[in-house]
Amino acid sequence: MSVTETDIPVIPVPTQRGASVARRIWRIALASNEFRVGAIIFTVLVLAALLYPELSGIDPTKMSVATRLHAPPFMGDKWSWTAPLGTDQIGRDMLVRSLVGLRYSLFIGLSTVVLMLIIGCSLGTVAGYYGGRVDMVIMRLTDAQLSIPMIILAITVLGVSRPTIPAIILVLGLSSWPVYARVTRSVVMTERKREYVRAAEIYGASDFRIMVRLLAPLVLPPIIFVSALDVARMMIFESILGFIGLGVQPPTPTFGNIIADGRKYLLNAWWIATMPGVFLCLCLTSINLMGASLERARNRIYGGKS
Amino acid sequence: MFVLSFLVRRLAQGALIVFLVTLLIFTLLRVVPGDPVRLMAGGMAPEALIEQIAKDMGLRDPILVQFGRYMGGVVRGDLGQSFVRPASGASTGGSSFGDSTRGERAEVLTLIGETLPMTLQLGGLAILFALVFSFLVGIPGGLAPGRWPDRVAFYISSIFISLPNFWLGIVLAMLLSVQLGWLPAIGYGGFAYTILPAIVLAVELAPVLIRTLTGSVAGVMMEPFIAVGNVRGLSRSRIIVAHALRNASVPLLNLIGIQISGLLGGVLVVEFIFDYPGLGLLTITAVLQRDFPLIQGIAIVTSAIFVFINIAVDLIATMIDPRLEY
Repeated sequence: MSVTETDIPVIPVPTQRGASVARRIWRIALASNEFRVGAIIFTVLVLAALLYPELSGIDPTKMSVATRLHAPPFMGDKWSWTAPLGTDQIGRDMLVRSLVGLRYSLFIGLSTVVLMLIIGCSLGTVAGYYGGRVDMVIMRLTDAQLSIPMIILAITVLGVSRPTIPAIILVLGLSSWPVYARVTRSVVMTERKREYVRAAEIYGASDFRIMVRLLAPLVLPPIIFVSALDVARMMIFESILGFIGLGVQPPTPTFGNIIADGRKYLLNAWWIATMPGVFLCLCLTSINLMGASLERARNRIYGGKS
Repeated sequence: MFVLSFLVRRLAQGALIVFLVTLLIFTLLRVVPGDPVRLMAGGMAPEALIEQIAKDMGLRDPILVQFGRYMGGVVRGDLGQSFVRPASGASTGGSSFGDSTRGERAEVLTLIGETLPMTLQLGGLAILFALVFSFLVGIPGGLAPGRWPDRVAFYISSIFISLPNFWLGIVLAMLLSVQLGWLPAIGYGGFAYTILPAIVLAVELAPVLIRTLTGSVAGVMMEPFIAVGNVRGLSRSRIIVAHALRNASVPLLNLIGIQISGLLGGVLVVEFIFDYPGLGLLTITAVLQRDFPLIQGIAIVTSAIFVFINIAVDLIATMIDPRLEY
């Protein structure tokens, strides 16, 4: 995984309306095998996460001394078919726990990226549109934020306040918007010099209207596509926070806290720490395959470097 | 002359960035709830004593006053003293707080100075591993766009980027050190202890490098001067090494500069898992202990390193490719 927040893609000036560009990116990506492999894995995982815990009726937090430390089938002395991934030190079912963890992980990942997009793209648009002093201030702010590892920022805040789900989303979102601000700004800056923006100005359209109605639909779609990659990154950060003990708190199962828990039993029950990680990796790989295919498709259209 | 004006300009920008980082962290620490004095004095300490200590340490002054006082120290090279760590090593706290112990608390600069070399060693080795691996995977991928080496590179980078570092660390420690006994994992007792954490960090760094390398090699190979090389009768390996790689390495170099800040984040987690006594472990304990001066000091030092590395990267890039201007 990569913890960098600064893998800034260079987007040359789009020459077409955003919607049609978006459709073309989508079509090219959809045609690639990598995207399909990712999409299939992702769909299976999401369906499992949504359905299995309900259908099986197993409570992810229910303890049971009788079934404690069961191994996955055929992998140890003690196992049962009812717990396909084994059970943990107090008899909780690992499959259900992993899938519920996946729900939280996906939810936090998606919400964080939405927040990042909102903050980053609006600040970037404003900076690129007005230029001058506004631009200066916003850009120096992003520079400063880019030079602190966001994980330090996140654990600093969460370490001293209480880590609830909204707090985690807010902290992760607030500490990684600068990339979006930079990208959006660079596109808006070139775009605003074009004739149609001038024409709109002459017609008396307000700045707000130009930004929202003219620039946003043009500039945003390619950026939003590539933000799929950030969903995966944010899910990793969420799990890191959970692992350090600064994520969603137990008994709610999340990948981070399950793995941190299982680490203590690594020598006699290896599956507790490793199995949730396999799920997390599978899910992240599927998202990354889709995201990278979209990115590649976008780069092909804009002729940029991949 | 050009280099000089470049340096002056970039250093000035860098100083501004470090200042903003300090301001940000400083304000953040004081705005967010959680009283460090409560932690220092222990949960049983009476409210009056806590207020007294906080006042003595200047923690009840307006934030701007505190910040001014702190920056005054910083420009003289004084990053202050840790709230909780005594000079001897172990952390104090609990009920032992008293004014007499203040002088014995560790200097932030010393703490950072002790751990930074360890982290640089780890980071350096990780970058080396990552570069070697991405060259092995990325160059063949870039030379054969659309064919299987390219696909392999694509899948490898997608999978590597999906491996959470803490999980990979646990799994590798279990396999390589507990099961097979090849490498030591926990703590530090010699250079061998750096290898496993460095591998985990390298896996984290490699995907972006592989992708950039594949892209830039593929791009460079389509340039006219490669075709001209063929016409000039140069061997394929010479064209690739002397012409293609030289040009493809500039984006890679820039990327490494940018990735340094990401690397620091990874270092934090990896050092925490492997109990590696570097800057990352120091940061995590500082945060968990609400050790304000230490957190601030680390933020200043890391952002300064980030600034310097990026200046160095730009300088080296102009050496490799004189067409670049900054």
